Amino acid sequence: MVSGCKKKSDDSSPTSEVTEQQVLDDFTNVLVNPNYADLQAKANALNQAIVVLSGTTTNTNLYAAQVAWRAVRVPWEQSEGFLFGPVEDFNYDPSTDSWPVNTVELDSLLASTNPLTEADIELLQDALKGYHPIEYLLFGVGGTRDASELGARELQYIVSLSANLDSVVNHLKNDWTSPPVNYANELRTAGHGSTRFTTRKDAFRTIVDAMEHICNEVANAKMQDPLIEHDSEKVESQYAHNATIDFTNNIVGLQNVYFCRYAGHTGNSLHDLVSAKNASLDNAIQAQIEVAIASLQNLDVNYGLAIFTQQGQIITSQQQINLLHDNLDLLKQFVEQYIND
Amino acid sequence: MRKFFILVSVFGFMLLLSQCRKPEPFDEAQYDERMSGGTQTSFDGTARAFTHEFEGLGEYDSYLHAVGDAGFEAGFLTAPATRNSGLGPAFNNVSCVSCHHGDGIGVPTAGESQSSLLMRISFPGVDEHGGAMPVPGYGTQIQDKAIFGKLPEAKVNINYTYQQHSFADGETYELRVPTYTLTELDTQINGNYMLSPRLAPPVFGLGLLESIPEEQIVALADVNDANHDGISGKPNYVWNPYKGRKEIGRFGLKLNTASILVQVAAAFNNDIGITSYVFKHETSQDQPHQSDGYADDPEISDSILNAVSFYMQTLQVPARRNVTDPQVIHGKQIFKDAKCASCHNTNFTTAVNMAFPALSNQRIHPYTDMLLHDMGQGLADNRPDFDADGNEWRTTPLWGVGLFEAVNYPAYYLHDGRARTLIEAIMWHGGEAQQSKEYVEDLSKEDRDALIKFLRSL
Repeated sequence: MVSGCKKKSDDSSPTSEVTEQQVLDDFTNVLVNPNYADLQAKANALNQAIVVLSGTTTNTNLYAAQVAWRAVRVPWEQSEGFLFGPVEDFNYDPSTDSWPVNTVELDSLLASTNPLTEADIELLQDALKGYHPIEYLLFGVGGTRDASELGARELQYIVSLSANLDSVVNHLKNDWTSPPVNYANELRTAGHGSTRFTTRKDAFRTIVDAMEHICNEVANAKMQDPLIEHDSEKVESQYAHNATIDFTNNIVGLQNVYFCRYAGHTGNSLHDLVSAKNASLDNAIQAQIEVAIASLQNLDVNYGLAIFTQQGQIITSQQQINLLHDNLDLLKQFVEQYIND
Repeated sequence: MRKFFILVSVFGFMLLLSQCRKPEPFDEAQYDERMSGGTQTSFDGTARAFTHEFEGLGEYDSYLHAVGDAGFEAGFLTAPATRNSGLGPAFNNVSCVSCHHGDGIGVPTAGESQSSLLMRISFPGVDEHGGAMPVPGYGTQIQDKAIFGKLPEAKVNINYTYQQHSFADGETYELRVPTYTLTELDTQINGNYMLSPRLAPPVFGLGLLESIPEEQIVALADVNDANHDGISGKPNYVWNPYKGRKEIGRFGLKLNTASILVQVAAAFNNDIGITSYVFKHETSQDQPHQSDGYADDPEISDSILNAVSFYMQTLQVPARRNVTDPQVIHGKQIFKDAKCASCHNTNFTTAVNMAFPALSNQRIHPYTDMLLHDMGQGLADNRPDFDADGNEWRTTPLWGVGLFEAVNYPAYYLHDGRARTLIEAIMWHGGEAQQSKEYVEDLSKEDRDALIKFLRSL
């Protein structure tokens, strides 16, 4: 009983409390920058795998490129847990992650004499650039692509597409770490010289708002649109059958934000701030993140099929993600109440 | 007994008084000035400040809003596609959100995938409804992109020159002056044509603006400047192609559109190349070489068009911030003293609408009079549009203007995004606003900063 009442000695000292500044510092140092660095490394690896495939077009090399494509989706979808800053300001998101793919236009493009260099890719509309046209060509409709179906034009196109993706992702990463944008610095200096965030509270509002946004996006757009329209062509990552993995990584990305962690490293976090002042809210958020992620695991067929055969599980999962959203509303109130400027 | 009579008389008199007393609106100080959109005000100053759905919508209306949201974000595809089919053949962009990023303003570039500046074109004269005279082969808008195998109508070139100016206290500022030219024309144009650039404006609060009673707008008009304050203010009366009649213009940077439905349908048609029940034909229908050969009109279903229109109607207005900050209060006074508020009118009350309570009887603060004003030669497009002459633009609603940087960084201002800061936007004012601009020019640095801080609180 006595021990139950005893505080941890560390917690009793104000100097050992996690500060808002430490949370903002670590948000960029421990999570965002490593996440985008990982994304860039994986985008580069995808480009290299596709160059190899282009040189020697075998099913083995095709499979390796498909694995590389799935690998780059992980840090990208996780980074959607903090979809603000350069990724929005400079439209990196729509220019790399638009779907559905404009397949009629894509076929015309391949049939044309367009040289399909990286410079030509820059000029294309969003629905012909980024992850999903690469996915369309690597996996094919229904995920049935055979290497023999990839001709010189297709290969030239995906080599340039993946080089373009690599380049865009590199810009995205650098915009957080380097001038002229140096967005990490804007966030870290919130309320203390930042031109983007006049108060620290603004910075925290933005972080929590992005967490809410991804819940809303997953439950009420990515899952909902194909479900209510009974249309598997509205499913994200439909060719690789990667949608449920994408959704899960979105929520994992949100979890990474809450705990400030990436690739095995953990920093001072929102969780630290909340648990110090409102343990029940902290417990509720932690538990609901787990429940939301687990609910997605109940979809055990690809999402394009699940919208016809597992509607109950989808609706349950949407409800759990929306409940998480409700918890994040409370987190928003916590920010208003406790974050000092 | 006497006491009784006195009491009865007093109560009787009070009763009489209370019966004569009409209900009166609150005194100005009783209202919360933060509530820019009345009860449809959102308290979010982040990058998603403009994206919030109306409070209190029923379950079905909320669903309709979500369907409209999806339609707003949907990227249209080259026909024949099983989904979102019918892009172009000539177009400006592939989706609504490609220009109205985050339901906010766009980027003043042309021809790129995230470009949000479009170019209107016309010949001198008017069409059969009093609107701009179309240019054969182009209509009234340049589509500067096209599906594969078709040609963009033209390339829009934007060039800036830079002018240095200074305030009375010696501090300098720079204005960038755009010039617009067309090259790579798809069809030869015989005659002198007029161009007018338009940057995609924010799309929140439109339902409230549509609900302002026409008589409130007309009451603010002073076409012949009868009060001699140097400011006129003129409504635009425009053709509503859906209703088949002339109505007061409420939308568009020259108020050339009467309703949200027509605005949305016109944007689908002109900007994305999507036909609908309102605009049944491709804009390129008089250019046989530009036809995609598909008899697929209307390309968007009535229900999706209506849902996107409903989505536009039901986006909340962001609340004002820092209203008790002394510098903001000081800036607000300067805004009045400089006569900015003569056009950027603070208050309207929307019409009573029993069928749509969320829009009904709302006291809103849009900072516009919904009228046209001569803005001087510096801003003039010299291209009439219904009753708007070549010098006239609508008064831009300033609600939310303080959040442009939060939502669309870097932010751009004015009809074509030439202004990169709020102070530049002010210093571009001329014509009826010349006296206001000169007032600001003479302000001290401290007062100028207060004015900007006030604008940033909107």
